[in-house]
Amino acid sequence: MAQTKSLDDNIRLGDDATKVFKIAGGIGVVFLLVSFGLGFTAGDKLKQFLHSYLLAYIFVLSITLGMLWWVALQHLVNAKWSIVIRRVAELFASNVALMALLALPLLVPIVLGNGSLYEWANPTVVAADAALKAKSSYLNAGLFIARFVFYFGFWTILARYLFKRSLEQDKTGDRKLVGKMAVASGPGMFWLALTITFFAFDFIMSVQPHWYSTIFGVYFFAGMVMSVHSTLALILMWLQKKGRLVRSVNREHYHDLGKMMFGFVVFWAYIAFSQFMLYWYANIPEETQWYHQRFDGDWKWVSAVLLFGHFVIPFFGLLSRHVKRSKKLLGFWAVYLLAMQWIDLYWLVMPSMGTTKLPFSILDVTCLVGIAALCIAGAAFQARNVNLVPTKDHRLERSLAFENI
Amino acid sequence: MAAATDLNPYQGPPVGETAFAKVTNNIARIAETPRPPRAWYIAIAISSTLALAFFGSIGWVFWDGIGAWGNMIPVAWGWPIVNFVFWVGIGHAGTLISAILFLFRQDWRTAINRFAEAMTIFAVICAGIFPGIHIGRPWLPYWMFPIPNQMQMWPQFRSPLEWDVFAVGTYFTVSLLFWYMGMIPDLGTLRDRAVKPIRRFLYGLLAIGWRGSSRQWHRYERAYLLLAALATPLVLSVHSVVSFDMATSQLPGWHTTVFPPYFVAGAIYGGFAMVVVLAVPARQFFGLKHLITMWHVENMAKIMLVTGSLVGYSYLMEFWTAWYSHDHFESFTFYNRAFGTYAWACWTMITCNAFVPQMFWFKKVRRNLPLVFIGGVLANVGMWFERFIIIDTSLSRDFLPTSWGYFLPTPIDYLTLAGSFGLFFTLFLLFCRYLPIVAMAEVKGVHPSAHVHTHEERS
Amino acid sequence: MSDTKKEAGKAVTEAPLHGLLAEYETPTALVEAAKRVRDAGFKKWDTYSPFPVHGIDPAMGIKPTILPWIVLVAGLIGCGGGLLLQWWTNTYDYKWLISGKPFFSIPANIPITFEMTILFSAVTTLFAMLILNGLPRHHHPLDLKKRFARVTDDRFFLMVEAVDPKFDESDTRELLEETKPVVLDEVLEDRVTSDKLPRGLVYALVVISVAALVPFGLIARARASTMRKTRIHIIPDMDSQTEYKAQRMLDFFPDDRAMRPQIPGTIAVGQLDADDHLYRGKVNGAWALTFPKQVPATEATMKRGQQRFGIYCTPCHGVAGNGDGMVAKRATALAQGTWVPPANLNQDYLRVMPVGQLFNTITRGIRNMPAYGPQIPPKDRWAIVMYMRALQRSHKATINDVPAAERGSLK
Repeated sequence: MAQTKSLDDNIRLGDDATKVFKIAGGIGVVFLLVSFGLGFTAGDKLKQFLHSYLLAYIFVLSITLGMLWWVALQHLVNAKWSIVIRRVAELFASNVALMALLALPLLVPIVLGNGSLYEWANPTVVAADAALKAKSSYLNAGLFIARFVFYFGFWTILARYLFKRSLEQDKTGDRKLVGKMAVASGPGMFWLALTITFFAFDFIMSVQPHWYSTIFGVYFFAGMVMSVHSTLALILMWLQKKGRLVRSVNREHYHDLGKMMFGFVVFWAYIAFSQFMLYWYANIPEETQWYHQRFDGDWKWVSAVLLFGHFVIPFFGLLSRHVKRSKKLLGFWAVYLLAMQWIDLYWLVMPSMGTTKLPFSILDVTCLVGIAALCIAGAAFQARNVNLVPTKDHRLERSLAFENI
Repeated sequence: MAAATDLNPYQGPPVGETAFAKVTNNIARIAETPRPPRAWYIAIAISSTLALAFFGSIGWVFWDGIGAWGNMIPVAWGWPIVNFVFWVGIGHAGTLISAILFLFRQDWRTAINRFAEAMTIFAVICAGIFPGIHIGRPWLPYWMFPIPNQMQMWPQFRSPLEWDVFAVGTYFTVSLLFWYMGMIPDLGTLRDRAVKPIRRFLYGLLAIGWRGSSRQWHRYERAYLLLAALATPLVLSVHSVVSFDMATSQLPGWHTTVFPPYFVAGAIYGGFAMVVVLAVPARQFFGLKHLITMWHVENMAKIMLVTGSLVGYSYLMEFWTAWYSHDHFESFTFYNRAFGTYAWACWTMITCNAFVPQMFWFKKVRRNLPLVFIGGVLANVGMWFERFIIIDTSLSRDFLPTSWGYFLPTPIDYLTLAGSFGLFFTLFLLFCRYLPIVAMAEVKGVHPSAHVHTHEERS
Repeated sequence: MSDTKKEAGKAVTEAPLHGLLAEYETPTALVEAAKRVRDAGFKKWDTYSPFPVHGIDPAMGIKPTILPWIVLVAGLIGCGGGLLLQWWTNTYDYKWLISGKPFFSIPANIPITFEMTILFSAVTTLFAMLILNGLPRHHHPLDLKKRFARVTDDRFFLMVEAVDPKFDESDTRELLEETKPVVLDEVLEDRVTSDKLPRGLVYALVVISVAALVPFGLIARARASTMRKTRIHIIPDMDSQTEYKAQRMLDFFPDDRAMRPQIPGTIAVGQLDADDHLYRGKVNGAWALTFPKQVPATEATMKRGQQRFGIYCTPCHGVAGNGDGMVAKRATALAQGTWVPPANLNQDYLRVMPVGQLFNTITRGIRNMPAYGPQIPPKDRWAIVMYMRALQRSHKATINDVPAAERGSLK
């Protein structure tokens, strides 16, 4: 039943990695500095900056975290089709430590009592609001930072553990390492579920602290999974353009990535619909005010774009197996879905700016480019002396020969 | 190379003269044997007695009215709806095994998917009876369907109860079609081996002339994939729609957005538990240990661990958000669940659903048949209690303290619940007796002997 | 070499050839054989196996089926149908409001729409697959080959049909021999079993079809005719009740009425209203000159009176009580001749009228003014009277009535 094929390909980035690191790193630093500059000189107590930065941050983190989740999942279920792309995901998953650092522009204002983004961080606002006062035993700077340290600490440890074992596997090919990574991924996945959920509550849901939804963690998760598969597809396409992994990654793998993209478009729609319809149906003001904001003024167009653009169109677009097996078409949809994920996060975060007109700002672009470029640089840095494929994993040959149904 | 018994058993060398013939013999003989094992007779005697009790208690309720049960105000949805949700949930594992594991290319599913699908059908039958009998005027359930009439009376499509009609109806239909379609090749096998003319006629009728033509297999495979791809969102939607019965309300403890995925996870958990409860004795009594191996049992235990943890996650979400929302009705509901009059039921539920499956982290436990079986039974108990906690305790202590009331089940309630198990097991035992309980064609298809060696490949 | 039923000996030997059947033991052998036959250009042939053999589709040159497209169309029909059903029944044919939700509640209609999409798709999948496969097919020449029964067990077969243009009895046989089958056999057309429906089945079908028409016939007859007998009502459902309804006759009582008047002198619980002053505005049989003790002269009462006056009295009497309310103006404009204008409450005779009498007028009505007693509770009526006094006083007010602090703004 198991067909195999041996590895015969260019699997190292070599100098290209350093080049990408330098260029992307440079762009990242410059754009971030520009963002800081624009933000501090805007005179709105950092409101626009914090919002744009948060949006860009969560967008990039959802992909980074998604990579970590994806790697843990492949280990946990002993997946064989994905071995050939696992290393690429590990490289991006290692960015969690960098992302912890990049969270500082969000954390420092909280500690300083700046409520422009998180109004519960401002003691005056909290004192005047009964609900916020009641929640302040959870929503306060100290515990927020403590939880942040816990989340990123755990993620960094897990990412490093899995990456290190994987690199070790390249040297020794020791079968026991497969077991070790699988065993770590079990509890790893368990705590990932909890930390991702509470991260979403802390960083995204608390932007509008009077609102709550028990499904919010799952909602964030759905977008995360959709984005990570899209990103993996795009990274692999870029690598293949640069002459790497040309014979190793083929349309069978893209087909599976495409299936997951499709599946999670549908899953996202299911979660988004559940949340919306239940709040619409019961019509309780505490719950519906969040949606009312998003149907007011210009926001209703964004909501419409999400309904049709994030669900209906990609549903039909990704339905055919022909699309999923074509690099060009799949690449298009991957970019499209990432754009939709950004719009979804925009729709989550930006209404808290309080305007009925869409608060577009150059900061949305500069923060995104800055953070994303730094993460690309981070992954390139890790990739300098590393195989792009786990060469001594005993399941690799099955992954190379894998055929889709 | 790892020992064949540790991993997928089908990675071992072929057994005997042809592995395929062995598969056919081992499974077909169960349906062909003139006298099933004694255990079967004992089991069906017990289950059909319970099934009779089931119909008897339903008849009593029709005669005497809903008051024969413990339904009262405020707990107007007593055990009947708890039972309904419980049984619908159990059905979900069958579809997951058939459809979702198929899409994920998990070959080990072929040993258990047939009777898991059968389990789904019978569970949905048991489930569907409850809404029909609890409506008070059981001669009017046709009002739930959009049948043209001169009163222009249509169902109220904005009601989640009406969505249920369509969801459970679709689920039953699609599961039945999927189960039947999967059985066609195996019914062909039974037809071709049948000696007695009446058996040959009946199996032949059901096998509709299947002869294994590759051109037909091509379309059949495509149809199987399409049905699997359709059944996957269907199974997610069905229990989500059932959860909407509660979640669309404004009642604290009912109205919360996490219900759809929470119910689906719980359904899969309970369903797999039931599969385990059925598979462990079935492999013993029908001699199927080499097909339903410890590998299968382990995988089912792992899935129970995952889904049980998801259920525990949902509990955490509910409790945490009840605090975070600072809605004192919501907070009270959960405080009451954990420490009020129903605390005993709540802790049973949390223990059975969130804590018990954690034992499956350990391989030794996963491969210990008695422990896995007990885990399955406890999971079913826990899932029943979960529905009871959600539905009955939330109703029992809602907004106005003057409306509060404590629900007490009547003997008819107990009889109806026990009786539904009787119906389920009777149908299942009949299935085991007369129909192919393992998907022979699929098992053969994933066997190493089925692998085609062409001169282009290396073996 | 031929393997046929013993009974029909003569007919058998005259049966034409249906095709050549090769039997193999392994799927690999089958696939190799299939490639040979495909390459030889045959079109009317097939292979048979107990499970779908991996790689047989390209080996035979089988083209992908159009089934997925058929299912897609069915799914779209189901989706549209679901939406149409819900729209037509709840929004068009019989509109009704539920919990204030819109008539066409798209969020609420999604679940059923989704289920209908799946239902239509799934049912079509199965039945289109069966139809495309030509199933059920309860009869086939291969059924006469005993060895072929192993196709559902563990053997693999390949058959080339004689009707294929490239078929030649000896050449095709030679080609198949090269693929090294376990057994190579002839399949003859079935001239042995009858292809007629069994008599008994036909009779049974006829009887059942006719019997099935009977209920429809009875229904048609019932709908087309009238009948004096009471219809059969299987489940009574409290549909016809033997109680006596209002406005019905009952000859048990001398006045033939089913409804009985109230027994004189009875008062409903809580309706005694003993306090004359409060309820009727009378003290010792004369109109009360003071307010009852339950209605204190406080700002709260005054404000209540102002609010209630604004609700009940201003439409006719106007905001200032001058009798120039909206209703009065309109009635005057309509000039229909039946209108008696509402009183100007600030006239002198009303200024001196006892408060009890004013209260009574509000309670019982006067001229065109209806009785407001049933609408307004007694204390509120007194509050209105109190406010009326305030209005009346304000019409003849002097500067000294204005509080000292505010006199400046009026000067």
